[in-house]
Amino acid sequence: MVPQAKPLYNISVSLSHSLPSLKSWLWGSLTSIRFTVFLLLALALVSVIGTLLPQGEAADFYLARYGTAAGTFLWHSRLTQIYYGPWFLGPVSLLAVNLLACLVHGLPQAVRRIARPFSGEAAAALPERGRFSWPAGADPQPVVAAAFQQELGRPRRLVLPDQEIYLYECGRFRPLGPYLIHLALLLILVGGLLGKFWGLEGTLALGQGETAQTFAIDPRRPEQSLDFQVRLDRFQVRFYPSGIPEEYRSDLTFLKDGREVLRAVCRVNDPVSFGGLNFYQSSYGAQPTGPIRFKVCRGEECQPVEAPWRRRVELPGGQAQIIALRLEGNLQGLGPAVQVAYKSGPGHPQIFWVSQDHPELAGKPDSPFRQPDDYRLTLTDLPLRYYSVFQVKKDPGVWWVYGGFILVLVGLLLAFFRPPQRWALVLQKKEDGSWAGRLLGAGPRAREAFGDRLQGLREALKKGAGS
Amino acid sequence: MISLTLGGVTLVYLLAGLFFLGAGLWAAPRLQRLARALLWSGLAAHTGAILGRWLKSYYLAGQHHLPAGFAESLRLVILQVPLSNFYESLVFFSWCLPALALISFRRYVQGYLGALVATLACLLLAYASLGVDSSIKPLMPALKSNWLLIHVVTCFLGYGAFALAFGAALLHLWQTRGSRPVLSGRPTLDPLIYQATIIGFVFLTLGIITGAVWAESAWGRYWSWDPKETWSLITWLIYATLLHARLVKGWQGRRIAWLAVFGFLAVLFTYFGVSFLLPGLHSYLT
Repeated sequence: MVPQAKPLYNISVSLSHSLPSLKSWLWGSLTSIRFTVFLLLALALVSVIGTLLPQGEAADFYLARYGTAAGTFLWHSRLTQIYYGPWFLGPVSLLAVNLLACLVHGLPQAVRRIARPFSGEAAAALPERGRFSWPAGADPQPVVAAAFQQELGRPRRLVLPDQEIYLYECGRFRPLGPYLIHLALLLILVGGLLGKFWGLEGTLALGQGETAQTFAIDPRRPEQSLDFQVRLDRFQVRFYPSGIPEEYRSDLTFLKDGREVLRAVCRVNDPVSFGGLNFYQSSYGAQPTGPIRFKVCRGEECQPVEAPWRRRVELPGGQAQIIALRLEGNLQGLGPAVQVAYKSGPGHPQIFWVSQDHPELAGKPDSPFRQPDDYRLTLTDLPLRYYSVFQVKKDPGVWWVYGGFILVLVGLLLAFFRPPQRWALVLQKKEDGSWAGRLLGAGPRAREAFGDRLQGLREALKKGAGS
Repeated sequence: MISLTLGGVTLVYLLAGLFFLGAGLWAAPRLQRLARALLWSGLAAHTGAILGRWLKSYYLAGQHHLPAGFAESLRLVILQVPLSNFYESLVFFSWCLPALALISFRRYVQGYLGALVATLACLLLAYASLGVDSSIKPLMPALKSNWLLIHVVTCFLGYGAFALAFGAALLHLWQTRGSRPVLSGRPTLDPLIYQATIIGFVFLTLGIITGAVWAESAWGRYWSWDPKETWSLITWLIYATLLHARLVKGWQGRRIAWLAVFGFLAVLFTYFGVSFLLPGLHSYLT
């Protein structure tokens, strides 16, 4: 009976021990550097996949590009929405836990360390860096004070019965640095979450003169309504000679209950805020306000053709059809142009641009204006209107993120550019009236800077010392 | 004139590199001084060329749209900083290397490391002069922001510091191959790798932050998972790993050097790879 009972006993013992050890194992793992490094590299790897695999496309895109099997796998694995699913958010959440655990683990210790004053006892424990002596009658105090002032800064002075101690400390808050950085990263993550769950983001397209009361968040969802109206009074775009836009601006008026409340100009890099929402100028375009009129010639024979927007139109003679596809207010610096798809016979349609101001381009080989040989299209009327597209946004997390940015910078400054140094000079008065000085100091995180200062201090002290 | 100056600078860097190499091989202090003087004069001419291009693009923009008053002129000066396309960024990147090395790491710029710095700067500049379109193009609306200057300068100072850490790491790996003891009398490169990484990390952080603030004011999104953004985050994560390995685990020497090499490959991909292979918000760089 006894031999059989023994293992049971062992098991129960190990069970009763295993609970606290599980807890400490878990805590140890959460705060371990291995875990951190693993998470950092995991996040890096996930991000690499996110940049190599096109993100956020429709299912058909992946099926067409990667084949049925791989495409289906990619679609269901949610690798195609990598930053918004478990692949990225999982490691990020674990990193947040890791950061929090490290803060809880180390911050009190760091605070205790910086709260501990640099006392005479602490100075005595520093390694010795040099000895100096002054003969009887000489007064070392001004020399020491001057040397400290010159090389380090204003020293603190402790006067004890038969000795004086000069203390200097810098970089005291260095231990806080890493924790501030980690806290800042948590703030940024919180800001991101706030934006995700309580933020709003959508687009608003407005033609000149139009007034809107809603904006689109997602094509599949109903539009978000505004508790005010916004009107586009005027849209202007200025081009460089090459046709690249130089600047575009929208003159907006915000109305409440039909009353004008604010007029503002919205430009790229220069958003407008109203009613808790920010409006960013994101793009613009041109749209026709009526049918487009062409003159279509076949040899010497010309006829007018009216083409409604994006509708198929038969050309005279019935041997070809055109569709007006796109419209540009200023294509390649050459003025307004319409993109036309042209189909004749069973072949693929041909696509070309028709310029309003430069009809001669139609015969230019190898240009986007090159037209097929049998018909010649020229524009007689292109009624167009510019519209302006805005990004509309509300993000309550932005200030958390910005707070995190500032804290990261403060943390980096403390952690890397304020290395701690402690210096002490202990002056001991001997019985014969002479003084002996011992220089002590440590700066383990910045050996070079410490060495430079040590050399300077030694020279300054020796200059004033008798020996 | 400016491209001629830059061509001259390329040659001066090449010469400085050769002299540094000679100084490393034969321990010749005179050659060392000469190489250093060459590197300094190359850097001075390089700085002049960048300022000259700045002036030129300011005048070109002023011709097109005359600034009225001091405030507008100042804004135009800031906007026309020659950092708005791939060519200009390459010229600035190659400026950062000798500038950082000579100003922040003076005592290390000698012998083989000096040769590496000068050669790397020479190669970047040669690539900019020979392989990239150097014409001054007008600014597109998205780039018209005061953030352009600070964002690009911080990013490239970061890249430059990482390149320095990379050079030091390569040299360190070469010197310690077969785990032979480091030759005495030469400053060990390990602190240089670490310090250059810190400088790079701080500048990269600043670059990411200024980019985020700029994106928030231009598009209303401080982060949009644009490939350049994502790759800069990847680079940041790798260097964060290096710093943790150093500060918490006390890694030194070859292991840190390998991480610095690995990190710089990510920097290269962030700079070149993303621009050419992955389209996104930063694609005007190509």
